Amino acid sequence: MKTVYVDNNATTAIAPEVLAVMQPYLTSDYFNPSSMYDAARSSAEAIESARRRVASCLGDIDPDQIIFTGSATESNNAALFGTVQANPERRHVITTTIEHPSVLEIGKELERRGQEVTFLAVDHNGELVLDDYVRALRSDTLVVSIMMANNETGVCYPVAELARIAKETDPGIVVHTDATQALGKLPVDLQVDLQHVDLLSFSGHKIHAPKGVGCLFVRRGTRWRPFILGGHQEKGRRAGTENVPYIVGLAKACELAIDGVADEQGRVRHLRDRLQKALVERIPAVEVNGKDAAVRLPNTLNLAFHGIEGEAILFELSRHGICASSGSACTSGTLDPSHVLKAMQVPFTAIHGSVRISLSRYNNQEDIERIIEVLPDIIARLRKLSPYWNDERNCLEI
Amino acid sequence: MPWNYSDKVLKLFKDAVKGETGTHMGELENPDGFGEHGSIVCGDTLRFTFHVERHPTDPTRDIITQARYLTFGCTSAIAASEALCTLLEEQGKTPIEALQVSNQDLIDFLDGLPEQKIHCSVMGAEALQKAVADWASKRGVDLAELLPELAHGDEDEGRTVCNCFSVTEPYLRRKIKELGLQSIAEITNALKAGGGCTVCHHAPGGLQELLDEIWGVKPVGQVEVAASHTGEQQSPYQLGQKVETAIEAVVRPLLQEQGGDIELVDIKGDKIYCRLTGAPGQSASADQTFKLLVEQQLKEQVDDRLQVIAV
Repeated sequence: MKTVYVDNNATTAIAPEVLAVMQPYLTSDYFNPSSMYDAARSSAEAIESARRRVASCLGDIDPDQIIFTGSATESNNAALFGTVQANPERRHVITTTIEHPSVLEIGKELERRGQEVTFLAVDHNGELVLDDYVRALRSDTLVVSIMMANNETGVCYPVAELARIAKETDPGIVVHTDATQALGKLPVDLQVDLQHVDLLSFSGHKIHAPKGVGCLFVRRGTRWRPFILGGHQEKGRRAGTENVPYIVGLAKACELAIDGVADEQGRVRHLRDRLQKALVERIPAVEVNGKDAAVRLPNTLNLAFHGIEGEAILFELSRHGICASSGSACTSGTLDPSHVLKAMQVPFTAIHGSVRISLSRYNNQEDIERIIEVLPDIIARLRKLSPYWNDERNCLEI
Repeated sequence: MPWNYSDKVLKLFKDAVKGETGTHMGELENPDGFGEHGSIVCGDTLRFTFHVERHPTDPTRDIITQARYLTFGCTSAIAASEALCTLLEEQGKTPIEALQVSNQDLIDFLDGLPEQKIHCSVMGAEALQKAVADWASKRGVDLAELLPELAHGDEDEGRTVCNCFSVTEPYLRRKIKELGLQSIAEITNALKAGGGCTVCHHAPGGLQELLDEIWGVKPVGQVEVAASHTGEQQSPYQLGQKVETAIEAVVRPLLQEQGGDIELVDIKGDKIYCRLTGAPGQSASADQTFKLLVEQQLKEQVDDRLQVIAV
């Protein structure tokens, strides 16, 4: 049975092109880039070349502003804790209720450490209310951290505009965005569109590089202090011997991601739309979360089925070789359903029955047709077992 | 986290979903016993029904012949429901004997359950107890007299401790003792209580206090209290009045003349946040023209330090 991998917002397959450029640094060129002998030079040069290429992908910016890290989570930690440390006179933080845990949990931690944190709510579409954001800005606001695109629903946020408003309010406000899900699906241009963004995080493994490498952009002049100390690497801004092969892979993956934006916005969007339409036609009582947002990632489809539970759906999909994910409580490691779907006030009869399908450049029409063939039957069978489904009338019954 | 279910759990779930013969999905008509536990808000529910072969003279000697379930829940919730029905049908028990089936029996039947899924088996045992109570009232059997230790029923009503999963204090007290739950984590795994917002963990009258009271343990660790802060920035009332007056008297008419409009969103110090609509054309430079126009007017009319921010 062929595996249909549609969980690309969780992680992606390593692109063969990426693996190929990494190979030499996993085998013959293993040297520490900090070493003095000639042999180490290629390692050091590989990192600087990677830095230039990543900078070029992000709007042809000065490469010196690129710091390589171990993950987007590390980048987010460095961005936020580093900003807090560098600005002790300010104590107000603005973020949202739908951030990835690597920002949300830092927000909660900052609260425990005595900062005041505003968690902006979202509406039913998963979107922010701009006026709430404006009202939240204060004279002691230190940092604004709002993601470019949500990992669960694909709903996108107007970070360029939010950053401009923050800077016009007070140039001292530091603006951070988590671009992990956006890179490769939306244009990410730090020179023009995102000129007011000071800090931007992303990881390699969402764009077909391996897990374990990430990136943090720190705009020159930003009041920020290094988070990981103990070495001169990355000009003292991120200590630790550089992960040369992965950094080289990340740069290649960035180039492929930038080249792939058109494919995502065209072909992949078409596949997602076809899937959404077909499933909604074939399955009663289903919510498409985030479908009415002004901008949604082209690869993401978040569905919530009334009257059944998501883990059981995933299990059945898995038996048919389809890899997807869910915001259901039973899959989260906690007992609560997804904080994102809760923030959007997805109906309580559907919130436990969510399934996220997220595509990539490697998905094709055949994958989509396979899901369309399998999923309606899975939903019908699980609903037969559910006390909240009236099988005769084919509708929810509480 | 990948699934770590036993083969038994997987088999029961697969058979149930496929509707294989010998599985127990469904709801019996005119059941002799009916019990439901859980709710759709909490993420799982078991509706359990059974039929008995009625004894001609002594209802306590009725024998359970058929058991069915409808379950809203995850893989292991569905498997535990199957386990419950299979156990009861196989063993030909009386409803009162059936009460001896504990959640541990279901776990054993399933060759174990992951820790965080223990509540699936508790749900089975609870639904069974309710169904037996229903049978007793229909058959005129006084359960409280026969089994005083099981007479709780309505006594589970009371103060809600865990709001996320609507778990009451009497129910918690009963289950903590029944299942020998020693920690908050064990309570959450078995009963779901405390698995949501976690506020009830260390709140007054919360889970830790109940545990301490029942098991007589001293509290471990300190409750971390986040410092609370107040004091919102206030925009000076007079400035606000002046800006609004200027907008109504001068700015809005000026914009409307050019097919536009303005909405005041907020004022912070000398910063005026406005939503400018219907700007001539869609270009950024046209929007900029509108913004500068508004700013110039407000500077002239109110205060030349004012700055307009388009929202």
